[in-house]
Amino acid sequence: MDIKASTIANHKHWDIFCVVVDNYGDIGVTWRLAKQLAAEYAITVNLWVDDLNSFGHILPALDPGSTYQTFFDVNIIHWNDSSIEKYTPGVCLIEAFACEIPSSIIEKLINLKQIFPKELPVWLNLEYLSAEDWVEGCHGLPSFQSCGLQKYFYLPGFTDKTGGLICEQNLFDLRDSWQSDKANKMALFAQLGLRGIEVEHRVISVFSYETPSLLALIQWWQTEKSPVHVLIPKGRSLHSLTSILPCSLNELVAGQSIPLDNVTLHILPMTDQQGYDRLLWSCDVNIVRGEDSFLRAQWAAKPFIWHIYPQEDDYHLIKLEAFMQIYCDNLAPDLAKPWCELNLSFNQGNQIDTVNHWQKLEFNHLSLQQHAKKWPMTALNSADLASRLVQFVKSR
Amino acid sequence: MKTAHEIRPGNVIMLDGSPWVVQKTETTRSGRNAAIVKLKLKNLLLDSGTEQTFKGEDKLDDIILERLDCTYSYFADPMYVFMDEEYNQYDVEADNLGDAAAYIVDGMDDQCQVTFYNGKAISVELPVHIVREVIYTEPSARGDTSGKVMKPATITGGGTVTVADFVKVGDKIEIDTRTGEFKKRV
Repeated sequence: MDIKASTIANHKHWDIFCVVVDNYGDIGVTWRLAKQLAAEYAITVNLWVDDLNSFGHILPALDPGSTYQTFFDVNIIHWNDSSIEKYTPGVCLIEAFACEIPSSIIEKLINLKQIFPKELPVWLNLEYLSAEDWVEGCHGLPSFQSCGLQKYFYLPGFTDKTGGLICEQNLFDLRDSWQSDKANKMALFAQLGLRGIEVEHRVISVFSYETPSLLALIQWWQTEKSPVHVLIPKGRSLHSLTSILPCSLNELVAGQSIPLDNVTLHILPMTDQQGYDRLLWSCDVNIVRGEDSFLRAQWAAKPFIWHIYPQEDDYHLIKLEAFMQIYCDNLAPDLAKPWCELNLSFNQGNQIDTVNHWQKLEFNHLSLQQHAKKWPMTALNSADLASRLVQFVKSR
Repeated sequence: MKTAHEIRPGNVIMLDGSPWVVQKTETTRSGRNAAIVKLKLKNLLLDSGTEQTFKGEDKLDDIILERLDCTYSYFADPMYVFMDEEYNQYDVEADNLGDAAAYIVDGMDDQCQVTFYNGKAISVELPVHIVREVIYTEPSARGDTSGKVMKPATITGGGTVTVADFVKVGDKIEIDTRTGEFKKRV
């Protein structure tokens, strides 16, 4: 759907700029935020995205060839040299994950400051989510730029002194309603073309990076007594499984089932964000990665393994440790220890330890299930990210 | 111009038309390896303080002020006293030393640079690498020699540095004063 230029520039709008780095992570977060700001706060949001092809995987109705489109009341603009000329300052300008704002926009803001300094948008750098202690000390701090403009660092996080976590107001009600009736998950599996799944079967979703740990787990599940269904989209996770696949990765098609002894691998079609949430709500265990799916797995109130984005010098393990520490704060040590060790060994690609810790961890343990259900409210604290963000912008 | 990542305690930068002395730097890593640098700053005109955060590659306008090579002389609470080659003494407020204060010890012979603004000594930069003695650390837990296992150590002057597990009490270690990181045993 095309939108009019006047809609892009009503001067009360917010602009969110996103550079797609990892296909679904950065765009996943910004798309959710944009939708929530539009739906819950009636904010006109212009979402500027440099790669609509990747975006199209999580918003199938998107036309990658169109520069201006509107979905869920969010104006989606293909960020290119031509479209950027139409930028007009609004109330807030968000550069997602430290992406570089074009110099032409900076020049417009400098000119605006000279004429109407009070009309300058609040300029934010929305950073990556981390559970580390330093986040509290950096969140909300100003960042005076050499061009003479003021920017602020907005850091998501798990405490009241951070920027909070993205979570729609009605999400938990929708989730609880979905999970209250097992027919919902069975209907979803049928809709996705997944065959052979019975209500009592264990179903595990996988959206990880490449790791030998995944292969080890699947080989272990092959030896288990009860059936295990592994739901896995085409993409990076499958690169770790080429040795057990009956065909090349290119030959795999969505909807395909691959029986491997007690395990059935189901190749998933790509889905939109609502569909992915429902998938997470429907599985017994979710293996997720990066930031967006990591957070949604927590909101799914199911046990999960987090495959964190790998960083130089194993710095990601520090971030993993920081999260595990707060996640396990109220979890019994006999569950917390194997859960942490499983996450650590999975991230280190240690096949033997991953399988050992998987065996030690009772995923069906009532306390682990209850902890997964309680955790979302603990993590959210007083308010979600969008709510805190709107207040932050108003207070500047 | 320097990047935020290159800024060190003792540098003076211009922000919004005012000179600010950098009292403390704290570098952390965001997602995808990007650095976030937090600076504690003091306005040299107003004597007020602020904290600011920058991307590691953000450009900051550092200003070159008069500097003199000095050595540390003594501490006269709350001032650290430094002396140049001609035996002139300069007082620097403890607050303005920031993290560098942890490395100031009696008898140290490191060549420091004292920075002046309007004739007043406002900050001190230590050499990038200094050597200090470890006065306390726990014994090596597992006999690790790889340098990957780390533990805290107290150095002369009372500061704490995270060192490799093989470092023992009495060892002399090289420290990077920009980051506070242990570099090697010397």
